Amino acid sequence: MKSEDPPALLFLGLCPAIAVSVRVIDALWMSAGVMLVLLLSGLAMELLSRESSGNEARHSFDRGSPAARWMRALVVTSFLTASFEAGLLALAPAASAALGIYAPLIAVNCLVLGRGMPGTHNLPTRRTVVGLLGRGIGFAASLVAIALVREALGAGTITLFALGGFGGTIVIPMLVEQPLRALGFAGGGLLCLGYLVAVSRAISRRAAANPAGGEAAQ
Amino acid sequence: MSWAAIILTFALVDNVILSRLLGVWPAAGARGGMRAAAGVGGFMAVLMAGSAVGGWALDSQVLVPLGFTLLRTPAFVFLVASLALALQAFNGRFLPSFLRVTGVSIPEIGINTAGLGLVLIATRGEYSAPESLVAGLAAGAGYFLVTAMMTAIRERLEVEPVPRALKGFPLQLITAGLMAYAFMAFDRAFLARVLGG
Repeated sequence: MKSEDPPALLFLGLCPAIAVSVRVIDALWMSAGVMLVLLLSGLAMELLSRESSGNEARHSFDRGSPAARWMRALVVTSFLTASFEAGLLALAPAASAALGIYAPLIAVNCLVLGRGMPGTHNLPTRRTVVGLLGRGIGFAASLVAIALVREALGAGTITLFALGGFGGTIVIPMLVEQPLRALGFAGGGLLCLGYLVAVSRAISRRAAANPAGGEAAQ
Repeated sequence: MSWAAIILTFALVDNVILSRLLGVWPAAGARGGMRAAAGVGGFMAVLMAGSAVGGWALDSQVLVPLGFTLLRTPAFVFLVASLALALQAFNGRFLPSFLRVTGVSIPEIGINTAGLGLVLIATRGEYSAPESLVAGLAAGAGYFLVTAMMTAIRERLEVEPVPRALKGFPLQLITAGLMAYAFMAFDRAFLARVLGG
């Protein structure tokens, strides 16, 4: 698996994040943090990398040693992550406690840092934003899907935000009595991610092998 | 916590890969057999031990006295990244064969969640400098052990008939998941039994 292509980066980025996928609400907070840092760091690096010279805008990010490029990317992602942590602690201390050490780890997430790696700064700003949003949504959808499976089957509940008369927890009658508790442990997260990657690969291969399948069906 | 408890906790009970899910990618992605796994594991052990001690010094001697605790994340990130790059420079100068054997990019495996995660665990656990060093070495030993085991299992599985979609990374994750269940035998009760507590 090469760490440069977007699907690989998405799954690599999910590795530490699945630790907080025991409850759906924690997965949602983690997804919000990753999306925020990914989008803002992508835009910040895009702006920092452009040096206007007359009518030409040239990218300077790919210049310098690889170490300098890593450090530049880490400056942006680490300060944005610290801002997210501070904001989360102020607004939702319970969520901050639930994410624990995994919120600061957003700064070195493969998906977030992938933006700062060499060779990723060649697109116009609008396409950059769309690409970053796509990556963020892909990350959030994958993490929430894993959390849904783990919490629903592993605890028989789905924990969301409390709103008005809704307490925030949906109880699944059959599963809450005899849950598959093993899914709630770290091994369950790795198993779910492994099967998610396998299913994603199988779908991609089928789509690549049968590109006109959808059109023929219509 | 006694020294033995710290060693067993960080190496087995709270293993960074199988319990904390940190640094899964370098462990799963180590290519080139057991020598590469040993190289990656050894590198991560040194990095984690250095990071843990550096994190203690940075937190207790600089950030907390100056009231800059909000800057913990950037400070720890730069600490781990600087250590990874220093190790790369050291290897390039004194152990040039390391990179050839492991076939990995040091910034790519060094700037990952394991080093930073360990610094965060050690500082939040308020470990002293010697305890941080022992915790880092024990976590590194645990990392080395799991990387070697995953590589050995992968080498066996490479010659077995496996569905195409599962080959490679998915199978490594599933292997790690099953190993994580096996490592659950190393729990608090195991610790109490071994240490006589």
